[in-house]
Order: sequence, then structure tokens, then C-alpha cells
Amino acid sequence: MENEMTVGFIGNPNCGKTTLFNAFTGANLKVANWPGVTVEKVEGAMKYHDNIFKLVDLPGTYSLTSYTMEEQVSRQYILSDDVDVIVDVADASSLERNLYLTLQLLELGKPVVVALNMMDVVAKRGMEIDLHRLPEMLGVPVIPVSAQKRKGLDILLHTIAHHRDTSQADRLIHHHSSDHSKKHEQHAMVYSDGLEDKIDIVSEELNKKYPGIKNPRWHAIKLLEQDHEIMESYPVDLPQVLDRSYESDIINEKYDFIEEIIGETLVNKEKQAALTDKADDLLLNNWLGIPLFLAIMAMVFVLTFTLGDWIKGYFEILIGWISDGTAAGLSAVHAGPMLTALTTDGIIAGVGGILSFLPNIAILFLALAFLEDSGYMARVAYVMNSVMGKMGLSGRAFIPMILGFGCTVPALMASRVLENPKDRRRVMLITPFMSCSARLPIYILFSDLFFAEHAMIAAYSMYLIGIAVAMIVALVLNWRDKQRSKDMLLIELPEYKMPSARTVFIYVWEKVRDYLTKAGTTIFVASVIIWFLLNFGFQGYTDDMTASFGAKLGTLLIPVLAPVGLGFWQVVVALIAGISAKEVVVSSFIVLFGMQTVGSAGDLSALHASLAGIGFGPLNAFCMMLFCLLYIPCAATLATFKKETNSVRSMFQVALFQLATAWVVTFTVYQTASLILGM
Amino acid sequence: MTLAEGNVGQVYTVLNSALPQQVEKRMEALGMTRGSQLRVLHKKNSGTLVILLRGTRFAVGRGLTSNIQVKEASEWKTK
Repeated sequence: MENEMTVGFIGNPNCGKTTLFNAFTGANLKVANWPGVTVEKVEGAMKYHDNIFKLVDLPGTYSLTSYTMEEQVSRQYILSDDVDVIVDVADASSLERNLYLTLQLLELGKPVVVALNMMDVVAKRGMEIDLHRLPEMLGVPVIPVSAQKRKGLDILLHTIAHHRDTSQADRLIHHHSSDHSKKHEQHAMVYSDGLEDKIDIVSEELNKKYPGIKNPRWHAIKLLEQDHEIMESYPVDLPQVLDRSYESDIINEKYDFIEEIIGETLVNKEKQAALTDKADDLLLNNWLGIPLFLAIMAMVFVLTFTLGDWIKGYFEILIGWISDGTAAGLSAVHAGPMLTALTTDGIIAGVGGILSFLPNIAILFLALAFLEDSGYMARVAYVMNSVMGKMGLSGRAFIPMILGFGCTVPALMASRVLENPKDRRRVMLITPFMSCSARLPIYILFSDLFFAEHAMIAAYSMYLIGIAVAMIVALVLNWRDKQRSKDMLLIELPEYKMPSARTVFIYVWEKVRDYLTKAGTTIFVASVIIWFLLNFGFQGYTDDMTASFGAKLGTLLIPVLAPVGLGFWQVVVALIAGISAKEVVVSSFIVLFGMQTVGSAGDLSALHASLAGIGFGPLNAFCMMLFCLLYIPCAATLATFKKETNSVRSMFQVALFQLATAWVVTFTVYQTASLILGM
Repeated sequence: MTLAEGNVGQVYTVLNSALPQQVEKRMEALGMTRGSQLRVLHKKNSGTLVILLRGTRFAVGRGLTSNIQVKEASEWKTK
């Protein structure tokens, strides 16, 4: 037995591949990008007996052509020497379609083990799969598993460990009569005689022209399909044989074989999930679809606020203790007043204030993960397709936009689902208007301060305004582009399922961990810097904040922000600080107004009083929230923008665009409201 | 007739399609080959459909459904 092995996981989207992957790796994941491309690479590791398995999760895909970057990356990786065994995760309840990828994988000629996932669903539905015949027809081990129920995992690992060096197929038993019967012993997929003749000729030519080429058969098939990548790397001069693209023929014949396999191995194929049908009748109903969607989103929101606030209360008490404890500890060691102030008023206040919002954010991500894993998110694309269509976007674009409610960074990355670069640009431009979770603390703070019983409405309105602005921008872009983009929506609607607690937990934990990291780094540093800016002036350390550097800087920019109702130097400082991370706006306020935490009634009314003292009232608060909703995205988002578009110029353009939009919209609101309210 | 004109609950056989090459190959990879069968599950007025193809549900937009030629089939062919 070898000591180290690299195992690649591949499979259709929605086949439970990630659940299976996570079952092996736990939360110890490393997420990066494949070199040179914007395709995610997820790696994990685990020990099995004497082996160390390095696991790589390849992007979910329906096939391995060279049409998309994901497929190319996966294909290259599989063909390389970096991977020892491929685990083909197939959804047993949708075997027919999943087998297509399997047949393509088999042709690649690397060791493959088929993990037949979701066997629990198959059993529940009364379907049966002949697990003896299937490996005989495919020539590779087929291991039934249920990632959700964690069954068959050990057996799968054992098979992987032993299957490493198989270059020949396992015993293949076929009932075919053809000129190429010899091939049936070596290859699961054998084409019609005419096609096989061509494959033979091209293979021979490839062997002649590129001696030592690995797997000439696969390359020959690719050339017959007129695969761009292979045509470029291994051109061959056989115009008579390669007279046209045989791709359709090859696909058709594969599916003919799949139908044969299904015929021999699947019993009771019909049983569709009645539950999914019933649920879809309701959720995809032409009249009820959109209202139900809005209701579900509202529920998510209410949960985030109410449950989140309740837990938040306890967090604040905890942070209060830490603050008091630290202050006492520092005075016990006779630390200087400056250090004490920096620690309690700067660091603990700034960072602690943000940590107290963790419950709200965790719940939001929890809800989104729940909706995604249940299978509902895909339906949103269908339901919103017509609405999105009027704005020139695909229903598919709605999914990154919804993710934007959690965090803009993964939302921007999710925009990769849109292959048309123009569509993608447009979605990336409007996604930041989907109010991200980092802005939630801002809304909670100002809503609680100034809108009391209507706090939740005020905050919810920000989300709606964000959506409205996004739609308007999309409309404008669509009108300007003048190119009627056709509705090419194509998305799989998986069966509804009870979300796996483990998958959801791992997802939420990743986000929480990111949040804590952000708190520990960016926000920590920002809090310290802000504390310095506000407690040091030209005369050095000062108690009077209005004499500090921060105040001077803020005052400079007052004229720019006064017309939008934000002409206060404290606000300017907070807004500038907010470019590092939106939560810092709240941190800054805490430091600016010398509070310990945010939320206790005493602190809130004190802050309210301080703000009223400088002339900051409900309208200003609303404008503050509005401006924060729309202006320059945080540093992480800008960095992602640059990464996804590969252009620093685009990044600056976006920043400027959002700043301009924020200013114009807030200006309109402030001036109009002032007129109406006669202020 | 085009798929966009299909009715909910009806099974159809795919004849051919007039789509951009990349899209057509994607559909074929998903199993929408010549002669394959599908059933329409849901339909919006805009021509966006939800279909059942080889055991999987897909939401398909008008730009696709209006370019796929089908004919009515009496029932699923193979069991």
C-alpha cells in the first residue's frame, strides 16, 4: 500500500459531491484558484489506515468538453500525473444523466471509481439498481454510498486505496456483435462500426506523428469531435477521415449505450419524487411564485433580526465583561492611560462592537445555506426569469444577487455562472447594491437609534431600495446596450431535500471564520488607526476630539457631503474608514462617540443625545444608511472585482460609479425630504 | 412545432434544434439528443418552461425553447 495518494472528486452539479467530499475532509478545506484561471480549487486531506489522501474537489460539470474553463481545468487535471484516482460521484436517483460524464471519464483512461450516491433516496422511492451488472458494463468498481447518511464511506475509501494502479479495465461483459468485439473487452464505450473504423485510423496516425502519446484513442475521439483544445495540441492531417464534426453522433451513441445500461440495471425507473412535484406546483405557480419568494425572503430577514438580536444581547453582555475585565486588569498593572484608552476605547470597543453582530450575520448565512441546499435557490432563477428578462438579465443572474445579501465577495465569484461576458459584467456591476451583511450593523444601529418601533421597516427598506437601484441600473444598461439578449436560461432544478446539517454547518462556519478573521485583522487595524486619528492632533495626544487629525480631515470634506445630509466630520471619518470594511462604520461611530458597546439602552440614548447635539436627526440617519448602502464597496469587494475582471481600471470605474450613484440618490432623497418636511 | 408551444403534462420527442453550436452541444450533453423524449412540467406565458429530461428537471428559457423542434409523443417510449 502506498503512503500518499491524490484523489480527484468529480460529478454533476447537485449530485451530492460536495456533501461526500465534506464527509471525508470535514471543515479542513483549503480554497484557492487553479493557476491562471478564475476557477475555484478546493483541497482537503485525510488519513485512512496507512494512507494519506489528498482530496481535490473539481467543479461540478455535466460533461468534459473544452467549452468552459471549468471543464478544461478538470480535464487537464485528470489527464495529468498529479492525480492518482478519480472518484466519479453519480446521483443514483438520476443515473441516466449522470452516466454521461462517467462514460467520458472512462475514455480518459485514468483509474476511476464510481461512487453511487443518494442510495437512500433510491431505496425510499422503490427504485432498484443492479449493482453487479453495472460494474460489468462499465468496467470499474461501483460503490453505493449515501453521503447524507454517511453510509458506504469506508468501503469507498478502501476501494480507492486499492484501485490506484489499474490501467486496464475490470472485467467487462457485453452482449454485442460487431467487427470490433475485441474492443469490448477493453473499453466500456464502443461506438458503431463506421465510427470505430475512423477512430482506428486516427489513432494510428496519432501514434505515428506523436510517438509515445498517452491514450491515443481518447485523442482520436476528440479530433473526431473537433475539440478545439486537442485540435490545437495534436493536429493531424486526415481530411477524408476528419471531414466533419462527429460530436453529435458520438454523444448520441453514448446515450444509446446509456439507455442500454439503464435498461439492464435500473428497476422501477419511473418513481419521481412526488414531494418535489407537489412543492413545485406551489412554488413555481405562475401567480404564486413571486409572492411566495418575497415572503420567504422576508422570513429570512425577520429571523435574522429577531433571533439575531436576541442572541446579540448576550454577546454584548459578554463583551461588556471583557471590556471591564481588561480595564481592571490594565489598571492593576498600572498601565498608562493612553494604553488603557487604546485598548478599551479603541480595540475592544471597535472590534467588540462588530463581534456583537456575529449572531445576526451567522443566522443570515444559515438561512441562505438552508435555501441553497434544499434545492429552492435554483427555482428562484425560473421564478424571477421574466422579471430579470425585462432588465436584460437571465434568471440565473438572480442567484449571485441573492448571495450578495450575504456577502458581495462570493456573490461576485458566483457570477461566473453567466458565461456571456457582457451579462457577467452587468451582474457584477449591480450585485454590490444588494445590501450585504456587513451593512447590517449600520442599519441596526441607526434604525434602533432613530426609528424605534419602526426600526425593522427602516432597515428592510434599505434592502428594497438596494434591489430597486440595482434594477434601475440594469434597465439603464440594457437600454444603452441596445442588444436584446435572448433568454437562454438553462438550469437544473434538483429534487427538494432536507438540507444536510453538516453541509450547512460547514458553510456557515466558513463564513463565521472569515468574519472573525476580518474582525481580527482589517477591523482591528482600522480601529487602532481610527483611535489614533481621533486622539492625536497637531498638538499630540488630545482629549478633545474636535482637535484631532481625524476631525481636521473630516472637516475638509464636509462641503462634499453636506448636500446629502451628511455634513458632519465624524460621519466623513466613519465613511472613509468604511472603505476598509463596512462594519468599520459602526466601529468608528463607537470610537468617535466614546461608547463601550452598541445596544445597551444607556449607550444608545447617550449616542442619540450626542448625535442630536451636533444636529444629526432621523433624516440624516436615513441618508446615512442610504449612502452606506450605495457608496464605494469595501476593500475586499474591490479586490475581488479586480481579480474577476483582471482589470484595475474596472475596479476604479466601479468604485467611482458607486460613489456617484450614492451621492446622486442620497442628494435627491435628502433635498426632497427636506423640502417636504420644511427643514 | 417548437417546444415553446408545448403544453403542460405532454410528452414530446425532440426532432432537431437551431441553436448556437455551444448551446446545442450543452443540451446534447444533458441528453437532449435527436429522438430523445421530454415532458413539460411547468410553463410561463413567456415561453420559459420546466421540462423533465432523462429523469432530471430543467428550467429552460424562451431563447432555447423557441428554437427546438418537437413533435407530440403518446407516451414515454422505454420503461
